[in-house]
Amino acid sequence: MTIDQFIQALLDEALKAGIEAAEIYLSSGDRFRAMCVKGEITNYTVNATRGLSLRGLYQGKMGYAATEAFDEAAVSQLVEAVKESASLTEDEDVQEIYRGDREYPKADNYNPALDQVDEARKLALIQDIEKKALALDDRIAALNYNMISTSSGETRIVNSYGLNLKHRDNMAVCYVSATAKESGRVSTGSGFKVTRNFDELDADAIAREAVEEALFMLKAAPVPSGTYRAIIDAKCMPDMLGAFDGVFSAESAQKGLSLLAGKEGEMIASEAVTLMDDPLLPGGLGSQPFDAEGVATRTKAVIEKGKLTTLLHNLKTARKAGVKTTGNAAKSGYAGAVNVSPSNFFLAPGKKTLAELMQDMGDGLVITEVSGLHAGANAISGDFSLIAQGYTVKNGKKDQPVEQITVAGNFYQLLKNIRAVGSDLTFPGSAIGSPSVDVGEISVAGK
Amino acid sequence: MLKQDVAQAVLAEALKTGGDFAEIFLEDRLNNGISMLSGKVQSVNSRRLHGAGVRVFSGLQGVYVYTNDTSREGLLACAKRAALAVKGEKFYTAGNLKWTDVPNIHFIQEMPDQVKNARKVAKMKEAQAVLKEEPEIVQGSIGYTDSVQRVWIANSDGLFTTDTRVYTRMNVSAIASNGAENQTGGVSPGGMQGFEIFNSKIDPEAMAKEAAQQARTMLHAPVCPAGIMPVVIDNGFGGVIFHEACGHSLEATSVAVGNSEFCGKLGQKVAADCVTAIDDGTIPNEWGSLNIDDEGTPTTKLVLIENGILKNYMIDKLNARRMNMPITGSGRRQGYMFAPTSRMRNTYIAAGNDDNDEIIATMGDGLYAKKMGGGSVEPTTGKFNFAVSEGYLVKDGKIVHPVRGASLIGRGSVILPKIDRVGKDMQMAQGMCGSISGSIPTNVGQPMIRVSSMTVGGR
Repeated sequence: MTIDQFIQALLDEALKAGIEAAEIYLSSGDRFRAMCVKGEITNYTVNATRGLSLRGLYQGKMGYAATEAFDEAAVSQLVEAVKESASLTEDEDVQEIYRGDREYPKADNYNPALDQVDEARKLALIQDIEKKALALDDRIAALNYNMISTSSGETRIVNSYGLNLKHRDNMAVCYVSATAKESGRVSTGSGFKVTRNFDELDADAIAREAVEEALFMLKAAPVPSGTYRAIIDAKCMPDMLGAFDGVFSAESAQKGLSLLAGKEGEMIASEAVTLMDDPLLPGGLGSQPFDAEGVATRTKAVIEKGKLTTLLHNLKTARKAGVKTTGNAAKSGYAGAVNVSPSNFFLAPGKKTLAELMQDMGDGLVITEVSGLHAGANAISGDFSLIAQGYTVKNGKKDQPVEQITVAGNFYQLLKNIRAVGSDLTFPGSAIGSPSVDVGEISVAGK
Repeated sequence: MLKQDVAQAVLAEALKTGGDFAEIFLEDRLNNGISMLSGKVQSVNSRRLHGAGVRVFSGLQGVYVYTNDTSREGLLACAKRAALAVKGEKFYTAGNLKWTDVPNIHFIQEMPDQVKNARKVAKMKEAQAVLKEEPEIVQGSIGYTDSVQRVWIANSDGLFTTDTRVYTRMNVSAIASNGAENQTGGVSPGGMQGFEIFNSKIDPEAMAKEAAQQARTMLHAPVCPAGIMPVVIDNGFGGVIFHEACGHSLEATSVAVGNSEFCGKLGQKVAADCVTAIDDGTIPNEWGSLNIDDEGTPTTKLVLIENGILKNYMIDKLNARRMNMPITGSGRRQGYMFAPTSRMRNTYIAAGNDDNDEIIATMGDGLYAKKMGGGSVEPTTGKFNFAVSEGYLVKDGKIVHPVRGASLIGRGSVILPKIDRVGKDMQMAQGMCGSISGSIPTNVGQPMIRVSSMTVGGR
């Protein structure tokens, strides 16, 4: 059976079995990944995979099932599983399969040239990065991580109302972490680049970024515990935003999992804050013409000058709230149930450079990295307490490297405390971006 | 399933360009998940994962190619693709495959894929019924998951075998709220067990009570103060400290390439005398246990640290070559989408001699971390961090009041020598551990321990 025959057989069988409307979501793709350690290529991994999920309305409820096996047995297994799933579901919110929009926007998320880059060139890049990084400074002991990965895939949505959508997506990721050693001290620094244009992967720049950070951090030390004026830089702020992006989901709000429920129209952040969800951002990693329910996507501000303008919706949450979907239906992988997620999600840039923000701050800290977000950031309470590193700022200038501190606060409060948003909008490796942000005061545990 | 003649042909194809070892791993897995919110089933999702991977070694080079197409042609194409990346100088032939029976040490009474979902939902509702009655609890979220993973492994050393791994787990999460603030509490026990786990390890009502209590306690707790202080970490999930601060840095994944602060320290003192740490895959029906690892090697019980002395690393096949040391049955992966590497199984600090009451009474001022959340580590530097999900402030050896929002940070090699008390009551708890070969079930564990000084993050 070809995949198109499989899809048709599945939709036919579903309707025959009494499912009122059915939809398949198919994700397929190729991926290449390799690492280089001491000149040798390791972790060389190649794959071509596909997965399909079927969802269907049965007796008014939505059922789900997914498979990676595409034989005839799978057709009836999926249909039966969808019926059982729907029968057990007690969610009273009305769900639907979408009939489609008249027009879909164009999203820039595929570069055919990237698929043509040969493996030898990818391997040569990481071998080159390792050589260059080691040559930059005697104190660089090794690269503890040095990876190139490319992926190219296609998403399809086909349903029993005749909707038939597809879009392609590809990207290359290069990530490097360098280890520096000097008189018994060890530190690391990272460099990376995510792009759809392989020519933008510059071995010199990536190696230099990792090496400079590792060397700078060699002398890092904790600062005394206390309250500090702080800027979270553009490499780090997107991680913070990503840990809490769920609070902007109408699904979380309707389930009582977000404190933003019912706050549309209210000031929830300082006037310096405008938060965008832009699925049509040129070259954005989260760019897409339609969402996971097949709804045409559009650009909107979620926070405009501090005011919450909208939460993010899919069809179900929008119907419940009596509004129009924002086209933010999403799935975590092909097999997941439809939920809500941002596309390209970022704080709109302001006018000042990071240097100017530092100048305005005078004395304080710039936080360049936080870790342990999956454990130390609680999206339900908004509380965070995170291991961090960065540097001190003295009289507006970069001073000493700082590590082994924690920063603690509350995300909802942080939004209100933001004094200024910088001009250096960065997407450091995902669809979530931010400029450097002056967050006012922050609690620090150190020495 | 994997047929012997197909496996033999695939291994031969994989070695055609001079590889010196080849392996095929085929997986067929059924995952089943149910989620419930406020007592209503939100979704029931079943997913069949199916695929295979071919791995070829040439010296220290490892190549891995995987696919969903497990037909003979699909697997041969996979082997050919892997061989393409290898340029060996000598040619090796695959040994004749010989069937190896795997002795099963994890007896399953009721396979979860044979249990109707309605019975699973009924168990979730038992927890919900309790949550509904708990004061200040405004929302309950309950999840159930089970998984039956069948694997077939064949390699050019002649190994040909199969194993079945069965997992069942439930989680209850409660949200306490006063309208302006939310706090959460949760528990998530599980095991390498079938539905019979509800007769022993999983008690839905007790889980609901525990989750509600934790959320409520945290709602009324002030924020933890920041600073350096003694920290007592309770048993069970408290063992995540060893997992992050030390366990990951003892995996060959880090050690073999010189990226661990414990490199070259075998036989040396790395922890206080009272610390003995073990990684054991052989405990019947435990969450992190195995019969064989994902390279087909029987699982083992491995002493990592004995009375403070570093004894062993966890080592997989490829890293065994780099380190010139034997494998330890620690080669694990999430599934066919990952090449295996050395990973933890059930990892714990063994029971010691100290008395829990004395441990707290003699700590002075500090933090008692009763329940831990997750954490992470950077093995190269040993820098770790984790979250305290239920903590209490201790003054002059007495527990004063709960505190929220605490986190613990430090470096593994610095913390281990500072463990000055180890209690008697070792308990394990279940977690999902994420690393280079994916997300896998592991247990953490320990008795109550005390660290004489640690950086506590708070406000």
